[in-house]
Amino acid sequence: MISASDLRLTFGKGTPLENPALRGMSLTVNQGEFVTVIGSNGAGKSTFLNALAGEVIVDTGQIIVDNQDVTRLPTHKRAARVARVFQDPLAGTCENLSIEENLALAIKRGQRRGLTSAVKRQYLGQFRESLASLKLGLESRLGDKMGLLSGGQRQAVSLLMASLTPSSILLLDEHTAALDPKTAAFVLELTEKIIEEQKLTALMVTHSMKQALEVGTRTVMLHQGQVVFDIAGKEREGLEVKDLLGLFEKQRGLEVDDDSLLLG
Amino acid sequence: MLSEIAFYGALETGLIYGLVAFGIYISFRVLDFPDLTVDGSFPLGAAVAAMLIIAGWNPWIATGAAVLAGMAAGAVTALLNVKLNILNLLASILTMIALYSVNLRIMGRPNVALLTEETVLTPWYELDLAFHQVPVLLFVIVVFVSLILLWRFMKSETGLAMRATGANARMARAQGIATGGMIVLGVALSNGLVGLAGALFAQSQGAADVTMGVGVIVIGLASLIGGEALVTPSTVIRALIACVVGAIIYRLAIAFALNADVLGLQAQDLNLITAVLVTLAIVLPGVRNSVIAKFTRKKA
Repeated sequence: MISASDLRLTFGKGTPLENPALRGMSLTVNQGEFVTVIGSNGAGKSTFLNALAGEVIVDTGQIIVDNQDVTRLPTHKRAARVARVFQDPLAGTCENLSIEENLALAIKRGQRRGLTSAVKRQYLGQFRESLASLKLGLESRLGDKMGLLSGGQRQAVSLLMASLTPSSILLLDEHTAALDPKTAAFVLELTEKIIEEQKLTALMVTHSMKQALEVGTRTVMLHQGQVVFDIAGKEREGLEVKDLLGLFEKQRGLEVDDDSLLLG
Repeated sequence: MLSEIAFYGALETGLIYGLVAFGIYISFRVLDFPDLTVDGSFPLGAAVAAMLIIAGWNPWIATGAAVLAGMAAGAVTALLNVKLNILNLLASILTMIALYSVNLRIMGRPNVALLTEETVLTPWYELDLAFHQVPVLLFVIVVFVSLILLWRFMKSETGLAMRATGANARMARAQGIATGGMIVLGVALSNGLVGLAGALFAQSQGAADVTMGVGVIVIGLASLIGGEALVTPSTVIRALIACVVGAIIYRLAIAFALNADVLGLQAQDLNLITAVLVTLAIVLPGVRNSVIAKFTRKKA
């Protein structure tokens, strides 16, 4: 279980560019939930994810992961519990390293690294098996450089890497946004499959309202650094994009003017 | 043509600069950390080894101490960058400048002679080899052992974490790698190798001099880039072999250039030749590729 309470974070404090990104953001995600997060540009989605991952440290508030207070911990000390897939397919993997080396990095996520060989023979079977499940033919290309793969393939491997070792939460930061529609659909399907099979707890930021409703078990909408609504279960079933917009307008008493939320 | 002594001399210094190139490979290539500390850690290694040898220490232990001193210098540079957020290049320049004073302090004077002292080379002279062949034999062994150890390290869990740190720091952090710690370890390791090179250089040349570090970074880079142009560094082992090949070829090229009377070059032209060689090494791979592309296009 992870819980964030009253997170506040202002970028560029005391400068003309002062930007309050999180303004009392609170959210609790229970074990096994798959939460989709939507919100317009500047709503604080990415900042919230970065705060959970440790890439930014909040000004005030508290983040608890599995009963441990991680609020002040840097990214690498949270990595054992927090797995992540980035928006940029190039960001989640190392292009200069081979596929098996990337996977070997991920299999030790958050653990001590010693002087024994990184790509151990006993890993190879597991690597081949998980790569085969992608059905991209990568299981026979373990020694190939990551840079030879396409964006979609790399994002699929990133997903695999994030799920190679257990985590308390999997953070997905618009991880299909930079892909073409067909590849995006493939990666999304893969995401659902992995989360379901391994019963992962996940938080997925998306730009598409449609995707937010179709995928996952719960949807949260952010606006101006806060949660404006949070729906799950029966209430969420059968909900359509226009209902979501209605909900949003009712909550805030304003019009949604961000086209990117309506499209897609 | 090159005399036999000049040839072995080029091999000897080439092998020593191979160690420097290993160090520069770690900082510039693995960590993407442009580190100029080496201009200070090379004479530091020489100074530490020379003074300890004069004080009566076993030359191998003195050489080991030189490695540790080099590592400490590298760690200072890395900590200036990681903990105080000083730009990596600037941090290394600060350490390099500081080391000039440190080296003078260690030696107490600008240079120290080792000609009459027992060095790591002394026992090897009893072998049935020509005088100028002995250092080459010993340094081949040292470089080979360093190459194997470095290769094993780069393939280890920690080494892989170091390579990820330089290639994609954000991803490395997300995998739980303390990237700051990796930079400290890597830059220390790099300068430890350069300290080793300095210690061996002082012992084979018979003296340590406070100015012997000037331009080491450029020669190391020349070796690295030249080697990469000759041996495509697609894997770690190839990259390490490229360092040694580059360093030896570089020294041989310099020796040829200085020995060929027709060229009319003299010792003071060394830096100019170095600059020309480095430029060629950077430009030539591109030219080669475009030539290959031209030919393959014709075939198709």
